[in-house]
Amino acid sequence: MAAPLIEARGVEVTIGGAAILKGADLTLNAGELLAVVGPNGAGKSTFARAICGLRKRSAGTVSWSGRELSSLKGRDLARLRAFVPQRAEVPNGVSVHDAVSIGRSSHLKPFQSFSAEDRDVIAESLARARMTGFEDRQLNTLSGGEMQRVQIAIGLAQGAPVLIADEPTAQLDLGATAAVSKLLRDLVDDGLGVILIVHDLALAAAIADRVLVISDGRSTATGTPERVLTRETISKVWQVEAELIQHQGRSALHVEWLDRN
Amino acid sequence: MAAVGASLTFGAVKIPLHEVIDVIFGGNSSGPSAKIIELLRLPRTVEAIVVGAALGVAGALLQGSLGNPLASPDVIGVTSGAGFGAMLIILLYPDSIQLLAVSALFFGLLAAGLVFLVSFTGRTGGGISRVILAGIAIASLFSAATAAMMAAYPDRVPSGIFFLVGGLTSTGWNNLEQIWPYFAFGAVLTCFLIRPLDRLTLGDDVAASLGSRPRMIRLAAALAAAVLASAAAAIAGLLAFLGLVVPHVVRMIGGTNRHTFVIPVSALGGATLLVAADTLARTVRAPIEMPVGPFLVLLGVPLFLWLLRKAV
Repeated sequence: MAAPLIEARGVEVTIGGAAILKGADLTLNAGELLAVVGPNGAGKSTFARAICGLRKRSAGTVSWSGRELSSLKGRDLARLRAFVPQRAEVPNGVSVHDAVSIGRSSHLKPFQSFSAEDRDVIAESLARARMTGFEDRQLNTLSGGEMQRVQIAIGLAQGAPVLIADEPTAQLDLGATAAVSKLLRDLVDDGLGVILIVHDLALAAAIADRVLVISDGRSTATGTPERVLTRETISKVWQVEAELIQHQGRSALHVEWLDRN
Repeated sequence: MAAVGASLTFGAVKIPLHEVIDVIFGGNSSGPSAKIIELLRLPRTVEAIVVGAALGVAGALLQGSLGNPLASPDVIGVTSGAGFGAMLIILLYPDSIQLLAVSALFFGLLAAGLVFLVSFTGRTGGGISRVILAGIAIASLFSAATAAMMAAYPDRVPSGIFFLVGGLTSTGWNNLEQIWPYFAFGAVLTCFLIRPLDRLTLGDDVAASLGSRPRMIRLAAALAAAVLASAAAAIAGLLAFLGLVVPHVVRMIGGTNRHTFVIPVSALGGATLLVAADTLARTVRAPIEMPVGPFLVLLGVPLFLWLLRKAV
């Protein structure tokens, strides 16, 4: 059996003397979408950054396709994973094509030009992210949903087998959230491994193969959405009485907002 | 090319363009015109090209790496440091005037070094606001020291005005022979930074995802800018305006923020603007030579404001 794309065990992160992550585990396989959920401040984004090598760990092990994270240098790591940040920079004077080309630049040596293959990958990344036709648009003219799709196209241009998206739908409307979610699901069905940091439990249940719950800096539950996102877990982790309803590909979270029952 | 042609042709003595071409490409080295071109105008034009290009690139590096449109060599303390270094020689050691360029270079780099020491060290070092705030503090320190020296030696201050407002001098190849390794270092380092700076344009997280180290890119870009701007100040005094404006003009004209375009074209634009301004400075009240700084502003500001209005 092939080694998991990512295997993280007992990851701890301390920032400014405060323990943010106190022992989190994670496994991701190819063609799998893992939704990481948890309350605000639980350590979800910190965990994602730690396994990406963007945040220093104070303890724990992280291996990428069997190789320890600390042994991987910048460009090697860039070919193993792409990170889509929560709040993307929207610079002036950068077109969609420019941005995705920059994503491909991790494959180039200093002063090396793009090959025909690189140009094909850039075009294919734009197409997979459904941004064909937007190539000449400036980033600062895009909507939030379009910008997130560009961020995903940048990640795809890296050619990495894993995409880690930190709350990509946090600031999107319903339509854009659905479009980005469907895009991520389609990418997973094509064989990509995706870790999605997300707050929306209904969305996580709808598109994820597995869910990982992070609470107070620790991974507390993992498994299929139906098994993990139970009334008991939601009550314990989020201190809310709620129930996840799934029916024929649709999902909804029924919440007792005002505790009137 | 037109600016270079004008620079070699016009001055206290007007030399026809065909004579200029004959001296440079035809090897005609006899006669007073040849001496003027070879010993005075050619070195000065080359100085203007190198200094203008260096300041244009320094501004583009800082604006790109700090993500701040107001960034210029002032921001990392270079201008104040170089000003202090030059005024130290002019006011306190006028007998050692030959050390002016070296002193300006040394203190420009020292000021930038102090800014880097404060802003790039420690666990949270390398943040943009920390670099800018440290730069403002260190620049204030050197400016205060310069002001104190000027107050102490008011009779010698007029000798320093040419440096403070920025001006090229006809001293042959001496300055460039001393300073060229710094320009070369800055230029080579810049070539390696063009692609990493493009990654930084998309934000630190994306740059890191692409395998770059944002903090290292920022430090290397600031170092290259400090070396280029200090070397420029050593030769032509304080012309930081050029480093602020030229990259903006280039971005507005080109409509792109890609450093593969902005950095080389800023070099070209900076060189052209300084050569043109220096030609004006030498000819407006010929044979008296004026400092180039005000002419640079005279040429650059209307263009900048016109483009700014068009862009908005």
